[in-house]
Order: sequence, then C-alpha cells, then structure tokens
Amino acid sequence: MRPNFFHHLHPPTIPAKQARWRYTLGAGGTAIFLCLVLVVTGALEMFYYVPTPAEAALSIQTLSYLVPFGGLIRNLHFWAAQLLVVVSAVHLARVVFTGAYAPPRRFNYLLGLALFVFVLLLDFTGYILRWDTGIQWALVVGVNLVHSIPWAGETLHRMLVGGAQPGSATLLRFYAWHIFGLMLPALIATAWHAFRLRRDGGIAVPPPRQRHTPERISRFELVRREAAAVLFASAALLLLALLSPAPSAAPISDITALTGEVRAPWFFLWVQQMLQWGSPFFWGVLVPLLVLALLALLPYALPLPVSGELGRWFPRSNRAAQILLAVLALVVLVLTLLALRPPA
Amino acid sequence: MTRRLLLLGSAFLLIALGLAWGLEARHPEPVALTPSLTGYVEYCITCHADLPVISPSHPVETFGCVLCHGGERLALEADLAHSSMRGGGNPSALDVVEESCGGETCHGGTADDERDHIQRVQTSIQVTYTGAITSLRYTFGAQPDLLPFYGVSAVTDTSLPSHTGILQLLAFDPAMESSPALQAFGQNCLTCHIGGLPAAGEQYQRLSGCVACHSPASGEQQVHTLTTSLSYTQCNACHNRGNYDLRSMTFVERSDQAQTRLQEYYQPIAQFTRCEYTLDCVDCHTRTEAMGDGDLHASKADSQYIQCQTCHGTPSALPLTRTLSDPDDIAFRLAFLTPVVDLQLGDTILITEQGEPLWNTLVLPDGTYQLVGKATRQFFSFRPVLGSDCTQTGLDQSSASCHACHAMDR
Repeated sequence: MRPNFFHHLHPPTIPAKQARWRYTLGAGGTAIFLCLVLVVTGALEMFYYVPTPAEAALSIQTLSYLVPFGGLIRNLHFWAAQLLVVVSAVHLARVVFTGAYAPPRRFNYLLGLALFVFVLLLDFTGYILRWDTGIQWALVVGVNLVHSIPWAGETLHRMLVGGAQPGSATLLRFYAWHIFGLMLPALIATAWHAFRLRRDGGIAVPPPRQRHTPERISRFELVRREAAAVLFASAALLLLALLSPAPSAAPISDITALTGEVRAPWFFLWVQQMLQWGSPFFWGVLVPLLVLALLALLPYALPLPVSGELGRWFPRSNRAAQILLAVLALVVLVLTLLALRPPA
Repeated sequence: MTRRLLLLGSAFLLIALGLAWGLEARHPEPVALTPSLTGYVEYCITCHADLPVISPSHPVETFGCVLCHGGERLALEADLAHSSMRGGGNPSALDVVEESCGGETCHGGTADDERDHIQRVQTSIQVTYTGAITSLRYTFGAQPDLLPFYGVSAVTDTSLPSHTGILQLLAFDPAMESSPALQAFGQNCLTCHIGGLPAAGEQYQRLSGCVACHSPASGEQQVHTLTTSLSYTQCNACHNRGNYDLRSMTFVERSDQAQTRLQEYYQPIAQFTRCEYTLDCVDCHTRTEAMGDGDLHASKADSQYIQCQTCHGTPSALPLTRTLSDPDDIAFRLAFLTPVVDLQLGDTILITEQGEPLWNTLVLPDGTYQLVGKATRQFFSFRPVLGSDCTQTGLDQSSASCHACHAMDR
C-alpha cells in the first residue's frame, strides 16, 4: 500500500511498546483532534456570532435555537474546549510521569506548556464571548486581576478592556484575541510541537540496546489506531453535546450592575478560591505564575530521568518532578473542590 | 484488534449521529411572531400557543409577549427563556410594573391624558396602607397625632400640587418600633396591600400588583386574563375575609360559610342596603377611589368618597349629572374598555361629587335612573330621593344615616 498524506505525517515505524494506549493514553493525538473540531465548529459559529454587546448573547441564542443543528455545533465547540483542557492536562501529566521531557525534548516540553496556557486563555476568552449575565463576574474579576499588577497593570488593563470599564471595545478585543491573537499562534505552536516531536526522535524510548523488545508497528497501523481514537472521541463528544447543552444566560443589560453567581469558569476555580485569602495580585497573578514557572523549570531544575528508564510509567530517576506535579495537581484539585462548595 | 476497534468506533459514532439526528428532528418547529409595537421577532408562542389573548385591548399580534413579560424572545429552552422575565410570571408586580405596563403611551402617562395609572396606584391607599400604619402607631403611642408619616414602602407624591398636603411617606420599619404590638403588626399585617405578597395559606391567596384586582384569578389558580369587569368576588379576595384582633395583632379568618351574597359581607354588626350587596363594588366605587387620584392620602376615609347620595341625591337635591357633549370625554374611553353600555353623545349620566363619570348609569327621560352592572351586565333602575317620602335632614347624608331605614335584615 502506498502511504497517503496522513500516513506521511507519521514516522514509518514506531516502537510497539510505546505505541500502546496504556503508555500514551492517546492524549496528544486526541488534543490535536479536539483542536480540529474547535477550528471547524468555531468557523461555523462565526457565520452567526455578532461581537457587539447588544447582539452577542442574542446571536448565540439564534444559533442555539433557530439555526438547524446550530445548537449541536455550539455544544460541540463548548465540549471540545472543555475536553481539550482535560486532555491537555492528562498529556502534560503523562509526559512528566513517564519522564518524556528529558533532553532533547525539553524545548518541546516548554512548547507544550505554552500550548496549555494558550488553551486556558482561549477557553477563557471564548467564555467571555457569551457576553451574558453568566460571565459578568468572571470578566470583571479577570480584568481587575490584570489591573492589580504593579506598574504595568493600568496599561495592560486599558489594552485588554479598551476603556475604563468593560464595554463594546472589550468584547471586540476578546473576539479578536480569541480568533487571531490566540488561535493563530496556538495553531502554529501546535504544528511546531508536532514537528519537534518528529525532530526529537519520535516518542520517548530507551536507547536501542536497553529495549526489551525490538518490535515496531508501521505507520499504517498507527493511523488505524488514531482513526479508531477519533471515532470514539467523536462519539463521546457528540453524546456530551447532545446530553448536556453549553451554558447560556440572559444578555447583559448593564455591565456595571453585577448579577448572578460569583463564579469563575471551572478551570480557574482554584484561582477564585485563593482570591478569598487577600491580595488579588499575589493570589490571583503571582501564585498562578509561580505554578507555571515551577512547571517550566521542572526539566531544568530537578533530576532528569535516566535514558534506560524512558518509555515506561513512573521511572525512579525523576521521582522529584513527578512528586512536584502530583502535589501541584492535588492542590489545584482541592482548591477547585473548595470553590465548588455551596456558600454557607 | 485495531480493525475491530475501528468497527466498534464506527458503530458508536453512527449511533451518536443517529441520536443527534433524532433529537434535532424532535425539536419543536419554531413559531415566530413579530408584534407590530416592537418589530422584533419572538418565539414564545412556540410553546405558549394555547394561552388565551390576555385582553381585547392587548392583542398578541400588536403586543406580543416580551413587551410586557420580558424574557428571552429567541430562546427555545424554558429556563433561559424565562430567566429574565419581569416579576416572574407577574409583570404587573409593583416593583417592575413601570417597565412592564408603563410608558407614556401605555399606563405610565400623564394625569392630563388620564393614563397615569401606575403613578396613581403607587400613591394609593391600597398600596401605601398608611391609614392602618398611622392609626396603629397613634394607638400604641408611637406618634402623638394621626398625621401620616409611613407607608409600606417609601413613596413621594410626584403629581404636584398636592391637594392633601402629604408630599411623601417614609418606609415603615417595624424593627424601629419599641412597642411589641407594632412589631407584631409589622410581622403579621403588612401583607394586606396590593404590592405585597399574600400571607401563607390558601385562603389568603391572591396575585399582587395590578392583577391583584385586574385578573379574575382565585386561590393559586392563575389565568392569563386581564379585565376591568371586576366582580365583587375579586374584591373579596382581600376584603370581607375576617377581622383584625388588635390584642394578638393577628388576622382572624371568618369561621362562617356565607350562603348568600348579603352574608358574604363580613363585619357582623354592620348594616347594608340592598344595592350594596346586589351590585358589584366597582358599579359604585370609582377608579380613583380604588387606584388613587395621584395624591397621597392619610387613610381610606380620606380617599373613599362615594355615598348613597352620589347616585340618589338628597331630599333637597338631585344627584349630579353630565350630558356627554365631548367625544373625548373619559366616560367614552371607560365605556369602551368595559363594553356593557352603548354610550352616545348627548346621553346624560350621573357623575360623582368630584366630577368622575358614573358611565354605567343613564338618566332616563322620566327622571329615573338606570345602572348596568359592569361585571353582571344586569340592568337596575332607581329613583332620586327628592320627591320621595324620605325624611332625612340635609345634614345627615352619610351612608350610615341611610342604613337607619334601608338596611336589610341579615
């Protein structure tokens, strides 16, 4: 069989042991599939979405309820975005817990981390584009966090909001950031991430002499497995989109009159919980940046996995990095659960 | 193995796609309505096609739903569609009524064109409840005289000049009262005004705001109807339900089961003439008595002024009348809204001491009078006192004086 375009995107063969689901979890590939779903459904949404304060929420209602399959498209976009956060986090965890960030993959690890930040920012800007009463608090808290940054906060806030307080300029800027400012660099970085994966020698494996089995699978088998993953992921995504619609609320009539529940989008609930403890700059900006810095420094400051231990879960040699990630993940999870508690 | 996974994945995806198609096909076909007053399409009748038109004055093709109710006009999902409705299901609740029913071309106009219903209601005694608050504060020593200071909520008279001299009322706050009786009054009795929600218990159920009177609903049953043909039963949703006990500061529900209309009037010691229990309340009592005249009043006694003599006159004078010569006379508008009489230019009708038309009456050529029940459409004829055997003196013309001879045996 002659390899087609999709086959050529893959190496001719890869080690069978590291190609197993239980090793990769299929997370990186699923993330790329979800990105494609987001680009396609997002492009379809652009035919109806109107980025003005008066029309935004109404155009989403039109799309959701009056356009044939419009509600399904929106729900797919929503769920693909939420799943992308989860799948990206799982991918990050897999890479750290298998030591797959070891040189020469440290740069690609940083690229991946940057992509994770892009995913969160894209999710947050997309959330704001609803421009309904459900997002008001998150918007105000979010832009106020930017404002709290010493020296540069005022300027950054003005650049982000486009005025003294959120309004039509803000919505237009979030729209532009969502579709161009964030999505285009994220797509380029994704391509770069995939390119570096090939350039760095494909999936992380031990040196040839230390491998238990020389068995490899062909790119044809790999593409078949990916196709199966895409089919299952599509079915799961469709079911989620059908059974649980994306949230909507009444349009914002007065941006200064804050109504509704004080709640950040779910992936920032841990930050919301910390904001109760005092300084917005410290807890809302510095601490999340510190978490990011710790993750970025992880391949540089902590013991690296030895090459003989690559290609399997939980190598002993980089235990410190695994513990760091596990602790960070646990803290974020506990803070999120605390934020989900009903108010006393 | 992988091929089996591919097959299984394809099967799952096909099932999910089939489900998506099936659910899409089950969505109701959106039914659009573009009311002429708003020009914006709304889809409420996709689900609410079975609701009756609320009144002939508010045709759905003209008003639609959203103009009065608010809500999300494009949403076809109940929670979202209803999330921004004004006053929940009741857009006439007094805290939102200006937005729902107001506006200068609707019911928030000026006193000059007699479309200031909302302003008048907000200052009316049925909303302020100031008579009860004032007399109880006076009785329990919280104020030295019967001057009105408090209403259920703060209100200012915006239609100056004020004929009563009361420019504003402050919000009555039971927590600021030292008397336990007044605190209990605040706790138990402030539900008796049309802005408030009724007390708990099925027997107290009524709607609040405009529909407290203008929707013929009883109990918890609500109907999508507005009417100006108010039957006495509508008034009885609040009145004639029992009596106050000033010692325990509670309301004591009447224990008897009224069998006749006469018995339905409470106040066991009070007397009633035949027309008081044969007609409906609104056949005699005017809209400014019930809905206010734009001024703040100190008590019910200051705003309710219709007496027997309004229709019957006195032994020395006929009742006041007006011959309708102006096609813009408010009598025609009122008769149009409650079409029970065919009022014509040149007709002579009775009017009140304040000049309000009793537009459902007619002075007949033989000098007698005719009244048509606004809710019952029944015809009644009656005579003036002048020329009768009545021996009442000119100084005793209140209804209580008439009851001396004309009260019915209960």
